[in-house]
Amino acid sequence: MIRFENISLRTQDHLILDSISLEITRGNKAVFFGPSGSGKTTILMCLIGGAVPTAGTVLFDGEPLTARTLPHLRKTMAFIGQEPVLGATGVREALMLPFSFRANRARTPSEEQIRHVLKSLLLPPDILEKQTSVISGGEKQRLALARALLLEKTVFVLDEVTSALDPRSRRAVLTLFRQPDLTLISVSHDPEWLALCTRFFKVEKGRVTTQNTAPVFQEEAHEKEGI
Amino acid sequence: MMQVMDISWAALAGVFGMLTVPAIIMLWAGVPLVRQMILAAGRMTVQLVLVALYLEFIFRLNNFWINSSWVLVMIVIANLNITRSAGLKLRRLFPYLLAGLAAGTLPVVGFFVCIAVRPEPFYDARYLIPISGMVLGNCLRANVIALERFYSAIRANAKEFITYLSLGATLQEACQPYMRQALQAAIAPTISTMATMGLVSLPGMMTGQILGGSSPMTAIKYQIAVMLAIFCATVITAFVNIHFSQRAAFTPYNLLNPEIFSR
Repeated sequence: MIRFENISLRTQDHLILDSISLEITRGNKAVFFGPSGSGKTTILMCLIGGAVPTAGTVLFDGEPLTARTLPHLRKTMAFIGQEPVLGATGVREALMLPFSFRANRARTPSEEQIRHVLKSLLLPPDILEKQTSVISGGEKQRLALARALLLEKTVFVLDEVTSALDPRSRRAVLTLFRQPDLTLISVSHDPEWLALCTRFFKVEKGRVTTQNTAPVFQEEAHEKEGI
Repeated sequence: MMQVMDISWAALAGVFGMLTVPAIIMLWAGVPLVRQMILAAGRMTVQLVLVALYLEFIFRLNNFWINSSWVLVMIVIANLNITRSAGLKLRRLFPYLLAGLAAGTLPVVGFFVCIAVRPEPFYDARYLIPISGMVLGNCLRANVIALERFYSAIRANAKEFITYLSLGATLQEACQPYMRQALQAAIAPTISTMATMGLVSLPGMMTGQILGGSSPMTAIKYQIAVMLAIFCATVITAFVNIHFSQRAAFTPYNLLNPEIFSR
């Protein structure tokens, strides 16, 4: 589904990504881990077209990522950062924001669908009437996830998405992402998240130094964070 | 028409003498702007004397091609100023902003001169040039605000912008909230100037016409028409310039190109 072929990204004086090649197929639960500043988030950015590699090719469903193919990729993928951007002052407004875009108007969810998704993420229905400025970081993360689920996205690009969640909410999120048809491409050092994952990519100084399916990487990821 | 009271050169020199008062205040308060004040007053005088000589020459010739060329020169100079003051690179954005400024101001000035005032000939320098200058001068300030706000906001909220794109927004949809804020900031001062006109300040054009011997009613009709023309041109140019400049300001991936900023 996604293939990086010798991806490099260089700014004026820094090599951010250095000849990265990898492949992630549909249904994979992939996680990138490694020290801060190693290039993990930039890899995610290249995936969603938020950063443009200076060399190499990103292939999505066999086609090189270009201005023409980018809308298809962005339609399929949901990107949620560590501090998600809700983009509106009211929670309901934020949840419905993507459905104001022409590409999603036909998929506007019903009130019942909204309440169902909120419940699955342990969010109370009255949160819809709140302002985004008064809700917690964990609630923001779950609202961003709820928005992606309402958009019926199947590929989730997630950057430390469980970092602000309490144990109970985290378990609810993990349960949702266990669905085999969902593809996860994530950055995380959360042991419970790592336990969910099936593909592990260790990133150091802009390079993917090792990639495997073996759980030994989980332990290594824990050590990096001193867990 | 009444006889215009001229100001003698000696009287004008006397008015310059008034500058000693602000100079003393600035020196006393330790405001280090006395030198700049003298230079600015000197520059203004030289520039305006040159403009007066030039306008006298142009008014005498009153040639279509010369008048039109002068309006185009004013648009180019205004555009240079807008691009630089908005912190954008001339090389990348100049042609787009030039097209936007011309597309926004020329129809408004054309409508004003040819439909509202109807001088004979229609390109009469006495009307075409000062009216174009007033419209452009006001568009200049509004466009600097609009462009600076629009691109700075997208640069400062890069994550938010990418989130919109990743949620399925087109470039236009992702730009919408920043454009709304930028236009609001650019248009609001002109609206408040219109709303307080005559109460807080007597507008320069009206005052000038009255001093020049026109009746107050003629002067206010001109002032109202000019204010409306300025407002229309301000909104049109700010909107069109934001749209036109996007062609050079975003990459094919719809990301803001950092190369457009000069600072």
